[in-house]
Amino acid sequence: MTAAHTVDVLLDDTLLTLNRAVGVLRRRNLAVERFAVRPCGPTGVSRMTFVLNTDAATADRVVQQVRKIVGVRAVEVTTVQNHTQEEHP
Amino acid sequence: MSEAQSGAHILCRTLVEAGVDVLFGYPGGAIMPFYHALPEYPGLRHILVRHEQAAAHAADGYARASGRVGVCVATSGPGATNLVTGLATASMDSSPVVAITGQVARPMIGRDAFQETDIIGITLPITKQSYLVQDAAELAGVVREALAVAQAGRPGPVLIDVPKDVQNQKASPASPPGPLSANAERGNGGGSSSIEDGVRRAAALIAAAKRPLMMVGHGVILANAYAEVRALAEKTGMPVITTLLGISAFPEGHPLHLGMPGMHGEVHVNRAIQRADLIVGIGLRFDDRVTGNLAAFAPKAQIVHIDLDRSEIGRNVPTAVGIVGDAAAVTRRLVGAIQARDCAAWRAEIEGCRRPPDASFRGGMSPEAILAAIRDATGGECTIVTDVGQHQMWVAKLFPYRRPNTHITSGGLGTMGFAVPAAMGVHLARPGEPVWAISGDGGFQMNMAEMATMVQEGLTVKLAIFNNGYLGMVRQWQQFFHGKRYSCTPIWSPDYVKLAEAYGIPGYRVQDASELADAVGRANAEPGPALVEFVIEQEANVYPMIPPGGSLSEPIEAAV
Repeated sequence: MTAAHTVDVLLDDTLLTLNRAVGVLRRRNLAVERFAVRPCGPTGVSRMTFVLNTDAATADRVVQQVRKIVGVRAVEVTTVQNHTQEEHP
Repeated sequence: MSEAQSGAHILCRTLVEAGVDVLFGYPGGAIMPFYHALPEYPGLRHILVRHEQAAAHAADGYARASGRVGVCVATSGPGATNLVTGLATASMDSSPVVAITGQVARPMIGRDAFQETDIIGITLPITKQSYLVQDAAELAGVVREALAVAQAGRPGPVLIDVPKDVQNQKASPASPPGPLSANAERGNGGGSSSIEDGVRRAAALIAAAKRPLMMVGHGVILANAYAEVRALAEKTGMPVITTLLGISAFPEGHPLHLGMPGMHGEVHVNRAIQRADLIVGIGLRFDDRVTGNLAAFAPKAQIVHIDLDRSEIGRNVPTAVGIVGDAAAVTRRLVGAIQARDCAAWRAEIEGCRRPPDASFRGGMSPEAILAAIRDATGGECTIVTDVGQHQMWVAKLFPYRRPNTHITSGGLGTMGFAVPAAMGVHLARPGEPVWAISGDGGFQMNMAEMATMVQEGLTVKLAIFNNGYLGMVRQWQQFFHGKRYSCTPIWSPDYVKLAEAYGIPGYRVQDASELADAVGRANAEPGPALVEFVIEQEANVYPMIPPGGSLSEPIEAAV
């Protein structure tokens, strides 16, 4: 069942890290409904936010792949049905 | 502060300081300052390959055999793009490789300069991390971090792109190594409390299971978790299945060892998976060649999945218990948490499914006979590096590996042409030990120019060619699934004995089993590289076979 998954990613403010994160979406050719990147908190950190309209399993795989990219600090997912938070230790 | 050095010298010096002692590479325009500095660092042995792809595979082979980072070097443009297949191979098989590429000078980047290519962009999906070095002052830190990132957590390839003017730029030698960036150690996640909870639940499942199995993969080799895995098997009596990259992680002759699962797994191994009520998977990713049709995979089993990479848990198969952590550490805890038991009835049930050996290879030149000759000549103490195709499956199923990490092959990417160059890296990681590179006639011809590298650099690699005149595995698929239309799979070979002679190495052709022991023994005893061509039956197949996308319950078996 598809749902809207809003994924917030805190990551190093470099184009390389951003490019790797976007690559996870591009590789799967997922429909991204909204996409934004903006400075966030301390210097050198950006917040990337995108909305995926997909099933929970796909959204979870995307999140797991994004969170292991070197330079990604935290990933937070919000869906219309529920709300979970994931932080790196 | 010490005297300023060029970026090229900083690069060499940092590699030496980090303990790197061998580089596989090929010079070219944009990497020339590095090569100009290199002779001043005798601690860095450079192996001049004949194609950059071979440099990446050799670095990969070195990394897999040594447990240390393998380093390859290439120039910009075609030099860098030629590395791509090797980096993708290393990425799929979690091998720590660092690639250093020259790049056009900073002012020329983005102008489509001569031999310019966006190698970082090209390799983004197949590298763990990459660096475009913009200032020579950053180089030392970048090299140290790259080497650490390649090995940290789940290993993988890292690329450092160094513009030519940065190699020439003077900078102060680096400050002492600092701590790694906070997230370079990513992959070791899973706090101790979550591990404890997972171990407790896994132990309860093992205690309750009637038909439990262990499946172990490359992660066990990467973590040196052999003793722990063996202890877990012996304490519980659980039969052990080794995936293609897990082969040699558990002794082949051990009574609990079952064999390889999946597409070319033996019938009793796949039957065991289909009947199991519990699978304890350690350091594997349940890829499609292992599982076949996911919907029909292990329909009765709960799955305990132990892996360093959190993203692998639940990725392909649903897990009852997922434990993120080092295979050795987690398995050790699991051994401590379980009660001793045995699985005698279950093992007897599996034995009842065992089929007699495939007899389709009539005549003397069977894979069994060839591999027995290599085993006998080396006392079974060699490292075997295989290519991709039918011979790869025969070796995986038949060679009696005794020591851990003595089977090296391209698993995830399935890269033909891997064996010959990777074996050069294995030899350098294990000098003095026999290394056999086994290829088919197709894969061998992809990178056979590396014989010249072996001769020039004095690399003692034994080359075995299973010559059936076909791209055999593709032909087998054509036979089974494409109406026997052997489209573009017959493949001509040169006279390999004469070819070896042209390269100045001994070559032997074996057409009859009676000649096997002599030829293999002589090749193995040669002080340098040697080649043995085995002329085998043309249309032999690898049995059994699960059709792609098929269920493990429905193998194609050899006609009796």
